[in-house]
Amino acid sequence: MDFYLGLIQIIGVHTLLGLSAYCVLQTGQVSLAQAGFFAIGAYVAGMLTVLAGWPIMPALVVAAIVAGAMACAVGFPALRVRGLMLVVATIAFGEAVRLFFFNFTYQLERGGFRIGPHGGEGFRQIRYFPEHGWSTLEVMLFIWVVVVLVMAAIWWMDRSRAGAVLRAVGEDEVAAQSSGINVTAVKVFAMTVGGVIAGIGGGLFAHYTTHIEHVQFGVVLATFAVAYPILGGLSSVFGTLLAVIFVQGFLIEGLRFMGDWRNLLFGALIVLAMNVRPRGLIDAATIAAIRRIVRGKEHAGA
Amino acid sequence: MDLLDVIDGVQSVADGVLFGATYALLGIGFTLIFGVMHKINLAFAAASVGAAYASLLILAGVRAPPALVFVAAAACGGGIGALVYLVGFRFIPLANPLATLMSTVGILLLIDEIIVHTTQGVPLNYPALFSDVIIRAGPFSLRGDLMFVFALGCVCMALLTALLYCTRLGLATRAVSQQPVAAELCGISITNVNVLTFVITGVVGGLAGAMIGAAIGILSPLLSLPLTIKGLIVTVIGGLGSIPGAVIAGLLVGGLENLFQFLRGVSERDLYVMLLLFVFLVFRPRGLSARPPGHA
Repeated sequence: MDFYLGLIQIIGVHTLLGLSAYCVLQTGQVSLAQAGFFAIGAYVAGMLTVLAGWPIMPALVVAAIVAGAMACAVGFPALRVRGLMLVVATIAFGEAVRLFFFNFTYQLERGGFRIGPHGGEGFRQIRYFPEHGWSTLEVMLFIWVVVVLVMAAIWWMDRSRAGAVLRAVGEDEVAAQSSGINVTAVKVFAMTVGGVIAGIGGGLFAHYTTHIEHVQFGVVLATFAVAYPILGGLSSVFGTLLAVIFVQGFLIEGLRFMGDWRNLLFGALIVLAMNVRPRGLIDAATIAAIRRIVRGKEHAGA
Repeated sequence: MDLLDVIDGVQSVADGVLFGATYALLGIGFTLIFGVMHKINLAFAAASVGAAYASLLILAGVRAPPALVFVAAAACGGGIGALVYLVGFRFIPLANPLATLMSTVGILLLIDEIIVHTTQGVPLNYPALFSDVIIRAGPFSLRGDLMFVFALGCVCMALLTALLYCTRLGLATRAVSQQPVAAELCGISITNVNVLTFVITGVVGGLAGAMIGAAIGILSPLLSLPLTIKGLIVTVIGGLGSIPGAVIAGLLVGGLENLFQFLRGVSERDLYVMLLLFVFLVFRPRGLSARPPGHA
């Protein structure tokens, strides 16, 4: 049972990671820095609960703020460039964050043990949940409450004016600019929102795994972050959720019986998915079709 | 810092510049594909490493002198390049930049996993040429294998420049990169040019992969991600679509990387390479070969 709860936890945290990339992708930017913000959130939240003895909620809030501020700061220089340049700049930022934590040691003596981040060995014993008697089920529910809140917020944002502005910038920058939209401000805003969400996700990740180290936050995680929304489609937040369930639940756990071959299949399936559905699993046409079906039923019922 | 340290420092920078030829070739590969298709092929460095592995496989099957490993790697690279185009670009609408980005990531993971699968994840030894030759110049020594890698890289770059600027194929490639629609109206098949670009960059990548194998001495699937990042950094520092820029940036990154390693240790080395990139992005976002505005 715990295995499935753990899997649901992973899906929850990765959904947050995917949603953070989703926000940035809405403006047409590919950011591979999300793993960096995720790492910042994980380390900040972990240090606050372990070293400073904070409860989890304020630690998550601070982690979100720090990661968001970092994203905002990175956004200004990085968003001067577009396309490939931005991809490279954000990869480099993510790697710089990872390498920073690889070289980062800040330990305190506590009850005969040294606790805190220790360079390449990582940050062990982030034991807030076990120490406060949370069961796996409670942790899972906590994570999913956060996920549902964030998803609801983004879903609402998508349908509000802010979402329309983001999409306008993503579809055609010049057109957006000529209709009086401050493109840079919009992009930095999206980047900051993405950073906040990634920070929350990172904080949760640090606490359920209890051990974080720099290798977890590499380029692979960053590509996963953008892969979810791209695979799922940028028309709806549910596409990201579906992609996370597909990748984490089916490709990674569901195919475990295939052993080594699973990893081979993973890359091949991504390639196949992009060939068959270049606009994602749930694209605008799918949503229209679903709407039609739902509406048709309403008519039938009426 | 006494004289001995200075000598060591200069020595490591020199080694780095020689090794930088491989980064330059990777940068050229990224930049060529970007120039022609305005797309990023994130699988390029992985394909290069894959070509180097494939050449080892061929050499294990056929009894041939180790020098042929470079030829085999180049040939495999060309083949893999065509395959990458077929799988990752041919059937995906090019108006959607995210889809090809994702498909090349998929190919990157796939190539890495194929390598891990066939070699059980064990790094393989790669034959080095001229590794017993050491040229001494005063207190400095130049390693023969690195010199060979550097020379091969230079030859490769010269051939590529000749191909681009002295042949009809090069003319067609440049035409497509500047104005695809006009090029097609002149009877140039864009698909053919794209395939050929992938084959050519694949050959360059295969050579780069073999050179990296020869310079480091081993091949490992763990190489492909760092090489992807280094290649992209070289591309951006050199200026997108610029071959001379990529060459200079490759040598620069190679040299500075070793300098940082000498000064700050191997664990902090790449941190400073990233910082170098940020310096360029802030102060010279168009890279080394930036033209004055209006000419872009």
